[in-house]
Amino acid sequence: MSDARAQVLVVDDEPQIRKFLRLGLEDSGFAVLEAASAEAALRAAVAARPELVVLDLGLPDREGFEVLARLREWSRVPVIVLSVRSREDEKVRAFDLGADDYVVKPFGMPELLARVRAALRRRIESEAPEPVFRVGALEVDLVRRVVRVSGAQVRLSPKQYRLLQILVTNAGKVVTHRQLLSDIWGAAHRDDVQYLRVFVRKLRSRIEADPARPAYLQTELGVGYRLRTPDQLDGPP
Amino acid sequence: MRGRLLLLPYLKSALAVAAVGFAAHALTRLVPLPHVSVLFVAAVITSAALWGLGPSLFAAGLSVGAGSYLFYSPIYSFHVTDPQDFADLAVFIIVAVLTSRLADGVRRQARQIADARLKAQGEALREALINSVSHDLQTPLAAILGSASVLETMGEHGAPRARRELAATIREEAERLASHIGNVLDLTRVRSGQIAPRLELVELSDIINGALRRKEKALAGHTLHVDVPSGLPMLRLDLFLMEHAVANVLDNAAKFSPAGSKVSVTARRAGGDVVLEIADEGRGIRPEERDRVFEAFYRGSPQEGGAAAGSGLGLAICRAFVEANGGRATFASAGPGRGTRVQVRLPVSP
Repeated sequence: MSDARAQVLVVDDEPQIRKFLRLGLEDSGFAVLEAASAEAALRAAVAARPELVVLDLGLPDREGFEVLARLREWSRVPVIVLSVRSREDEKVRAFDLGADDYVVKPFGMPELLARVRAALRRRIESEAPEPVFRVGALEVDLVRRVVRVSGAQVRLSPKQYRLLQILVTNAGKVVTHRQLLSDIWGAAHRDDVQYLRVFVRKLRSRIEADPARPAYLQTELGVGYRLRTPDQLDGPP
Repeated sequence: MRGRLLLLPYLKSALAVAAVGFAAHALTRLVPLPHVSVLFVAAVITSAALWGLGPSLFAAGLSVGAGSYLFYSPIYSFHVTDPQDFADLAVFIIVAVLTSRLADGVRRQARQIADARLKAQGEALREALINSVSHDLQTPLAAILGSASVLETMGEHGAPRARRELAATIREEAERLASHIGNVLDLTRVRSGQIAPRLELVELSDIINGALRRKEKALAGHTLHVDVPSGLPMLRLDLFLMEHAVANVLDNAAKFSPAGSKVSVTARRAGGDVVLEIADEGRGIRPEERDRVFEAFYRGSPQEGGAAAGSGLGLAICRAFVEANGGRATFASAGPGRGTRVQVRLPVSP
């Protein structure tokens, strides 16, 4: 096994879906391992140590969540979940369990590939985090705790800075309402989403040129927030 | 509760008989009435027509009692002695039973007709749904099946360009299929009352941006103009229903206006409301179509290319979702070829 290609574990019980994922991923230079059940997925994850997992949440008996939870007991391997539309509760649960990103079914291969590449890139970056985060005109110096927009220093309250800091350390990833709330205000407030929204509005007014069309601090409706990385900057707000 | 409801018609019948009894009693003091039983027939027929056979027979029985007590000698006693009164009562009973059955039959028929009409309306709706759905599902499916089979037969010998084109057709048609299926699922969820809005204080700009992101591909060929002030109050809305409603309007704007034309999204405060407006420079509609665009399955007039474009469900879903959020959706157009403007009014919660 002298294969230098990055290995991706695909977990889905539908053979047709596994087939096109394998063809698409292999065509883009990845090596693909397949698993059709939760048991097989966990075995493969232990045996092969893949660099990324694509996990369908629609496995029979909600096993998708179980795979994620058990995987996170010992591994930080990036996990991209596949979920169906109008199941925001599933997305939230997956993120709370430690998923890295999601793709809504039905999806095209280019979309999934973009997420896979971004997740792998983040993995490399998070191993050696940069002390200064930059995206567009925004600059966050995590060591000196200084925030600048177009070079001018911006004053933030301690909680606003904490919010930004969490998003910066998870840049490119969705951070759920629950994670942000319990981290900033404590577990007792983890369901006060409206409070968080007011806070995000204030933070946006400090760091965004047009807070109604935010370039950096992106809302994932009903799920949480995502701070964009420079390579995610081109999309719509 | 159910027992009490079943007894209610009988109570009404009794009241009808009592009313006739009092009226007849008062009347006989002014003018002599030879065949007072005729008046009671009115109470019996009324009972049969409105409440059915049981209550009308009950009314007939009560009428016999009331008649013999109030009108036949000796009055104020249930005894009847005069042979002519006997004959009178016998005729009354026969007439009452016959008319009861007749009136009850008429009542049943009327109900059957009403049921049949309701059923026919349901059938018409179902038929429209099936027609629309089967057309919308079959057209892309045919394209997918056809292209895939050609691709398969070509094998390695197909020209790369032809293979790419076939693959692109398969993807585009599958996307169309996915969007139709999504619409039908949404509509059935609204119709069956499965959608209960979950209202929470949210940023309208988040909803607009979410919808814009969802329709990024559809809007790619258009010039987008977004003007949403950042100082708008937060609104009490269901995030997903509203995002969906806005996305459907954006989809329509993209579909019915030429590539390169402007699609504008603006929001402003107007008194106690926030008004969201989505305008395009597309083909517009005639004034007489204005109220129909929100109907399910309405797709515009075919000669203007309306029927080809979609399932005709987008704006129906939009209106249903906006109304579920306590808002109102209206449609305006300066006329054919002059663009359309969909306006969504959302109340600012106090």
